[in-house]
Amino acid sequence: MRPRTIPWTAFTLTLVILCLAGLAPEAAAQKKGGVLKVGNLGEPPTLDAHWTTATITEVLAQHIYEGLYTLDAKSQPIPMLAEGMPAVSKDGLAYTFKLRPGIKFHNGKEMTSADVVASLNRWGAQSTYGKTLYARVAEVRAVDKLTVEMTLKEKTAIVLISLAVPNNAAAIYPKEIVDKFKPAEKATEWIGTGPFKLVEWKPDRHIKMVRFDDYQPRKEAATGYGGRKVVYVNELLWIPVPDAATRVAQMETGELDFADDLDLNAYERLKSSPGVQAIVAKPYYWLVAVFNKKEGLMTNQKLRQAWQAALDMEPIMKNVAGGHTDLYRMDSSLAFVENAPWHTKLSGLPWNEHNKDKVRRLLKEAGYKGEPIRFMTTQEYKWMYDFALLSKQQLEDAGFTIDLQVVDWATLVKRRNNSKEYDVFTTGMGNFYDPTHHIYLGPNWPGWTDDEELNRLLTELAREGDYKKRFALWEQVTRTFYDRVPVARYGDLFGLRAMRGHVKGFDTSLMRPRFHNVWLDK
Amino acid sequence: MIAVTTYLLRRLFALVPVMLVVVTIVFLLIHLIPGDPVAVILGPEANAQQIEDARRELGLDRPLHAQLVRFYARLLRGDLGRSYFLDRPVTQALWERAEPTLVLMFSGLFVAVLIGVPSGIAAGAYQGSAWDRLLMMLALLGVCVPGFWLSLNFIYLFSVRLGWLPVAGYASIFQDPVAAARYMLLPAVSLGFSQSALIARIARSCMIEVLRQDYIRTARAKGLAERSVIYLHAFRNALVPVVTVIGITMAILIGGAVVTEIVFNIPGLGRLIISAILRRDYPVVQGVVLITAAAYMLINLLVDVVYAFIDPRIRYV
Repeated sequence: MRPRTIPWTAFTLTLVILCLAGLAPEAAAQKKGGVLKVGNLGEPPTLDAHWTTATITEVLAQHIYEGLYTLDAKSQPIPMLAEGMPAVSKDGLAYTFKLRPGIKFHNGKEMTSADVVASLNRWGAQSTYGKTLYARVAEVRAVDKLTVEMTLKEKTAIVLISLAVPNNAAAIYPKEIVDKFKPAEKATEWIGTGPFKLVEWKPDRHIKMVRFDDYQPRKEAATGYGGRKVVYVNELLWIPVPDAATRVAQMETGELDFADDLDLNAYERLKSSPGVQAIVAKPYYWLVAVFNKKEGLMTNQKLRQAWQAALDMEPIMKNVAGGHTDLYRMDSSLAFVENAPWHTKLSGLPWNEHNKDKVRRLLKEAGYKGEPIRFMTTQEYKWMYDFALLSKQQLEDAGFTIDLQVVDWATLVKRRNNSKEYDVFTTGMGNFYDPTHHIYLGPNWPGWTDDEELNRLLTELAREGDYKKRFALWEQVTRTFYDRVPVARYGDLFGLRAMRGHVKGFDTSLMRPRFHNVWLDK
Repeated sequence: MIAVTTYLLRRLFALVPVMLVVVTIVFLLIHLIPGDPVAVILGPEANAQQIEDARRELGLDRPLHAQLVRFYARLLRGDLGRSYFLDRPVTQALWERAEPTLVLMFSGLFVAVLIGVPSGIAAGAYQGSAWDRLLMMLALLGVCVPGFWLSLNFIYLFSVRLGWLPVAGYASIFQDPVAAARYMLLPAVSLGFSQSALIARIARSCMIEVLRQDYIRTARAKGLAERSVIYLHAFRNALVPVVTVIGITMAILIGGAVVTEIVFNIPGLGRLIISAILRRDYPVVQGVVLITAAAYMLINLLVDVVYAFIDPRIRYV
């Protein structure tokens, strides 16, 4: 026995040593303490997660609040405040959510089903995604202290994903906050269950968050926006720095530890700057020209198809990305590559054709006689202006007459809701985690896509529960999209962020930054 | 003394109708330009129904005249309304930005006067000399060079390359005076340099004009040293227009040295009004304009009072 035991013992010992050696550097490196200074582009319009789809609110609020579910690294829903996945009744109309016990709000109160019911109802009345889900919800009620039941009017596949999306999220607030601030009123007290606790918001100076000591991390390994969250820094200081050049300079001098939304032209400078790591944020937006399909010239499908056929995307994208080929991607799928479950690889789509003969034929069929097309953009987002300007040149070469109207963002977002004021406007599309969330495919968002076939497919998608069938429907949606052209899809543009070398543990694969599990090694 | 008091009271009463006109014009202008604060607050994915609901909540669905009457009513109570974005009363938002703006204003003004007045006086006193040409060329440069360009170059040189000063930020002089000085040095110099140009040019032309007066010739004829002629006789008489320019500069800086505040990330009134205009935060825009207009008029009044101390011939009537 002895000769056989020694090698096994030695093997086990070696294995343990190797494991420890592998783990040791990281375990030793994780340091608690310090202030992490993050430079962002400005002030959020609110920190009420139910209230706005603004990205800056999403980023900040997701450090303070949590929902029942969140997304893993593959953009799939995973439990956060819910104990596990819900029990679904056989008819698919009732979802029962068990809540994790002992979860505390930042005010010390324990979270119960009453808080969850009140929060979900508020979210369902105000949030874009909440409203979509609540159109199918009959009732949400507390079964006992830690159980919530959601009853649906009709079977739908979007319950979990809607509860998990980080934007305009189904954040859980204490019931008292919900009672105090009705859905149409912005909450001005910000209490959540998240790993960071808000302690001070001084507009134009900083938003200060500190570690929430009573936070109960999940046991599962960190993945995507979920799993085990540990806060190592004592303080997370968000500093609004509206000038992008100043943010870059502050990264170089070390005044900031992390900066988001940097000018793509600073990419080379950041890469060559000692002690700074430039991070390409994927995905960011796909660029889009949204057509007014309610009235005016672009109600003509042939004209929209001609627009799509005229564009040569590569030079546009390269120019918008400041000439850096690693800051953009040519892709025709309506879901980003990173959103693997919904990314399509269809061939033969009429995308990036730059086919002048086809354009001429379509313009003739459309009966277009060179009437000016009002194309609205803004210089507040440089990338929008750049791609609008380059599109104008290409479209005019192909026979269009473009009246480029440059306005500020506040004007653009107002005018785009009035069908009389424009024909086309620029914007960007972020990551939509479910096919039913693609706002530009529906009739309630500016541009007003109200196509019978798309509506039918999207209704099917909302009802169907089987992933394979849903994916097949999504491919049909994509093909129909390229035929109807409700909007013109350009390429994917990436974002640029940077961090100092002493910032460790940051997950660079995330679309939006998160600072749990991040520590300072200095 | 009675004359001064009466004069001051009369001028202060005259402020009321002017302020009323200013706030009315600003109210109408900001509401008539296109744009919607609600669409900005709710974010890019909000739909028309959400926007309508929120407009109702903020009272923006009411007719413009009703909103104007409500604005006047609040103003009479000293209430400037509540910011749509900052979740606090406008008066509080203005108060929070008073310190950075005043510190920047006084430090910028200090630099401007420190450079502008001696340069202008020296150039005027030695008109046509190499000094005159050099100083006026620098003054021309100060007027021509855009503030943001100068600021960015200062940042690059003194912060990024040399690492002597922080790039941007603000520290309260009451909490950490040393840090406050470090943060304020570059903004004050870049702001003061461009403002000093105007002061220098005015000081020079006033000095030249005064030096041509008969009493200067008399002073020289009776054998006074040139230094005494310039500093005791000419300088004080050349000061009145210079004080006017300094007053105007001060008023401009109260309204916010917008570019300087943005580049150096100083949380003052200039940055506040820019973000308020871009986001159509109507109550904040109205509040900042009201304060700026009041500051303009009060500084003008102050300058008028100072005239009498500089030149005893000036009387209040």
